[in-house]
Parts: sequence; structure tokens; C-alpha cells
Amino acid sequence: MRALCWNGVNDLRVETVPDPQIVSPHDVILRVTMSTTCGSDLHFIDGYIPTMREGDVIGHEFMGEVVEVGREVKKVKKGDRVVVPSFIVCGNCWYCQHDLWSLCDNTNPNPELQMAAFGQPTAGIYGYTHAFGGYAGAHAHYVRVPHADNDCFLVPEGLRDEQVIFLSDAAPTGYMGADFCGIQPGGTVAVWGAGGVGLMAMESAFLLGAERVIAIDRFPERLRLAREKAGAETLDYTQVDSVVEALREMTGGRGPDACIDAVGMEAHGTGVGYAYDRAKQALHLHSDRGQALREAILACRKGGTLSILGVYGLMDKFPIGAIMNKGLTVRTAQQHGQKYVPRLLEHVARGELDPSYLVTHRFSLEDAPRGYEMFKNKEEGCVRAVFTP
Amino acid sequence: MRSINLGHVGRIAAVVLGGSLLKMSLGHRRMLRPHTAKRRGAPKAGGHAEAVEVERSVTIGKTAEELYRLWRAPETLSRLLGGFAEVTPVEGDRMRWKVQGPFGQSVAWETRIVEDLPGERVRWESLPGAAWSLQGAVQFRAAPAQWGTEVTLRLHLHPPGGMPGEAAMRRLRAVPGGLVLKVLRRFKSLAETGEIPTLKNNPSARKSASAHGKRVC
Repeated sequence: MRALCWNGVNDLRVETVPDPQIVSPHDVILRVTMSTTCGSDLHFIDGYIPTMREGDVIGHEFMGEVVEVGREVKKVKKGDRVVVPSFIVCGNCWYCQHDLWSLCDNTNPNPELQMAAFGQPTAGIYGYTHAFGGYAGAHAHYVRVPHADNDCFLVPEGLRDEQVIFLSDAAPTGYMGADFCGIQPGGTVAVWGAGGVGLMAMESAFLLGAERVIAIDRFPERLRLAREKAGAETLDYTQVDSVVEALREMTGGRGPDACIDAVGMEAHGTGVGYAYDRAKQALHLHSDRGQALREAILACRKGGTLSILGVYGLMDKFPIGAIMNKGLTVRTAQQHGQKYVPRLLEHVARGELDPSYLVTHRFSLEDAPRGYEMFKNKEEGCVRAVFTP
Repeated sequence: MRSINLGHVGRIAAVVLGGSLLKMSLGHRRMLRPHTAKRRGAPKAGGHAEAVEVERSVTIGKTAEELYRLWRAPETLSRLLGGFAEVTPVEGDRMRWKVQGPFGQSVAWETRIVEDLPGERVRWESLPGAAWSLQGAVQFRAAPAQWGTEVTLRLHLHPPGGMPGEAAMRRLRAVPGGLVLKVLRRFKSLAETGEIPTLKNNPSARKSASAHGKRVC
């Protein structure tokens, strides 16, 4: 089959690779009908997350049709049209049984690679470094889905791929970020980053009862989507001296009740702090640019909630003093997709959520490298590129 | 793997735990730390080199009785060793370990069970006269709350003396912690899900991915 492979920093190529096969009894093979770029792919494409290997198939946000079923698969059937969360879960371990799905104990074949950095291993993920399992990704014609009964979610009739594809990752991640905020009636939520995850977090905050949502970004087309599609107020950080001050003024001096970081380790920003991060990252003195996260911490009202969705490594200059002295609650995780996909499918089926506007560019799988380039550089207002094999 | 000359180090680790695991660990040496492998005893001139003892634990969501039965099932050890080592029951309490390559030859070796407390502990050691003195034990203890059982695997390895033995031990000290942990985590996955996570036949553009796939698309 053909698949999009990582060959080195910023070197993606579509190549012919062996087809996946059923290797474990709970596996299915999916014929991928659509996959999409994700901001967190950029971290390893750019070389900031280690343990990629030359030739790895990438892509973790996808949907498709079941074409082969392992002998122990009970619920999923050949011919099912399904969406699959990006984290691979077993459904049996303590973490799965406590709705902490991305912390699954049994799906990472390389746990020792994470234990050095994190202390304990997390779940495996498709196409996302060997520390996160080393599984082949889904920018391909076919993908192997382990533990299919827990990882495949049947798509109701009548929904288009574009409406469902983001339920694989961006939508449940955003929903989880809003869920973490413990939104109270009248609450204000600020969201850093108006990409796919940020926009889904904004919509989810309203679905969960927020009165106001404030979006922080610099790209006009993203800020427009935040306003027009998600109903957020917007703040262009390049147009203000201080995001923290601007947010304080927008909230009567209090600061937002909750702040969601939907940016992560390659944040852009302005001023001395950003220049410092950029220089240190370029010299590989640290992996993370923490501009968005630091602003979120400083902006949040006292006693408020900081919800971190952005992917981070070993960030330095982390303002723990502000978190501690302001009594912030910090909630964070990689997405617990299996917890949120069923309710998101209901929201989509009822017409309360339609993530299809995130699709700004479509490519065949053969043109996927160009899709990633446009996505990375935000060319032509690219929010998400989707690929069809 | 054949190009890496592991010599005695490879032989010991392969005999202990199986070549695939060693390969996995050595492949990621920089990520591993030689953490808590303990040194026991002092080198003796003309005698044995220093021994290595390593102990790791994992919590598994099953009862001690279930885990004991799974551990003692005839095919389990071979599965935990990733298919590179076959461990087959011989007569009585003995087990025969056969490791196929990666060193281009098979190494066979026997242990006997010296303590067997169902639902609690299994302890085994190499037969007297083996070149490499090995002792292993697995222990099952009830965990608090709903966590199931804490499983501890301990290995004690005492190779012969002389330069090769000492050099082997110096290098090995960085390895067995990772190997023991890997075996335990594989045991956990097998117990909790009925399978061990694997990258077998994982598609990639590397030559090593081999031509296992045939579907035409």
C-alpha cells in the first residue's frame, strides 16, 4: 500500500510499504477513508519530539471501514464505518476502567522509552514516535487497529466523513479541555490557539454552559472562524502589548475563570520571552516554547482552572509560583477520546456540533507532503488538511 | 543484530531473558539508566566475577491465584520472552530454555524450581555445574484497594570470573533492569488483555519491514 512516511526532520514522503495484517486476536484492519493533519504531528516532524525512526508511517486522526476482523473481536464487524480515537486502549486495565483512556497500561510495546522521561508509560498512539508505541500511522490505505472493540466507534448513517473525522482527536481533545474547566453558569473561558483543537474547545465550552469564550491567536482566518463558527470573542496577540492585561480588562480585572492552552510546545508570541524561547529551542537547549502556557497561567483568575491540551516536553521557566500563589487548579491529559466520542457523535447527529468547517484543504494521499507543508505554514488559511487514499 | 558482537554479554542476557528483549533494550540504551542493579560480593581472583541482582515490580489487575496459574502455564514464559526463547517443562520441576540466535547458534540451558507456593511465589535456579549461576523468583502480593496484585520479579546472576566475565558484568549492569521490567509488563498485558502489545508486521518504509503485506490497493 501507499503511506506517508517520516524520513527525517521535515522530510515526509509517500512511499510503498507492506500492508498491515491482523497480528493479535483483538485487531481489525481498517480501510482508511479519511485522515487529517494534527498540530501535534508538527512537533516530531520538526524534530522536537525524539524516537521517530526513518520510514515510520505517520498520522493519528482518521476514520474508515473495517475490512478484516481478528478472532476475538466481538462488537466490531466487517463493513462497519467507524471513527477511531488516536490513543490505543485495552479497555481492561485500571486506567481504562476509570475513564483515563490515554493512560492505558497495556498498549505501548515500548514502555521503557517513556519511563525514563515520565516515570510511567502511557498508552500507544498511531504514527507518533516509538516512545508512544511505534505503531504505524493512518496516513495510508490501511491501518491496523488493536483492541478494536474499545477503539472503533460506529458512525451513524447519514453523517459525512468531514463531519466525523475530527471526532478521532481534535473534537474529543477540545471537549476534554472544556470539561476540565468545571464551567459554572456565567463562566468565562479563554482559549489559546484557534486551530482545530482550540476551535473545538471553544464550541465545547459553550456546549458545557460557558457564557463567554475568548479566543487568542494571530491568524485572521482562524480568529474569524472563532468568531463566526464558535461564537467566541477574539484577541489578536500581535495587536496588544500584553495578552494578560487585555484579558484582565475584558473580564473586569478578574481574569478568565478558566484558561485552555491549545497551542503546545511550538508556541509563537511576541517580545523578549518569545525571543528567549525561540533561541533556546533552536540551540536544542530546551524543547518547548512556553509562551502560550505562561500567558494562560498569568491571565487566569485567582482560584481558576488551567486546562492544558498543548503537547509539552521538558519546559523550563515554568511559573509554578503563579500557579501556587493564585491557587490554580491544573487539569491536563492527552485525550481520553473513548470517554467523549459517544457523546460527541450524539452532538453531531443532533446538529449541535459540526466540525466539518475545519476542513479547509483536501488532498489525495499522494499529495500529503504538500498538505503538511500548507498546514504547517498556515498557507492559504489552512486550518486542517484532510487526505483521502 | 548479527553485526553487533555481544559475546558473553549477549550470551548471558539471551540465556536469562531472550534475545529479542536484549535487542530491544540495547537498541535504546541511551534511554535506559543502569538504575538499581545491585552489586553483590567482590571479585575473586580466578573465581567468579561480581554478581548482579535486579528486582522490578508491576501491579496487575488480577488475583494472585490467577497470575500464579498464568505464570505456571507451560507456554507463558516463551510468550513473555517474545518468541526468541522457548521455555519448555522437562520432567519434574525442571525447565529447558532454548534461545535461538541472534548469535547464529542456539543455547540450551536448564533450571529447576526450588520453591513453589501456589498464589504466592515461584523460585528457580540453574542446575549445579552450569557455567552461569542464575536464580530467579516471582512473587505475588495483594495490592491495596482495587489494584489487584503486586508482582515482583527478581533475578540473580553470577557469572564465572576472569576478564570476559567481569567485562560482561560491567556492561550487563545497565541492561537487566530494563529486561526484567519488559518481561513484567508483557506479563501484565497478557494477564489483563489476553495479548501482548506488538509491532509485528508493522508497516514502515524501512527495509526491515520486509515484504509481509500482499493486499493490492
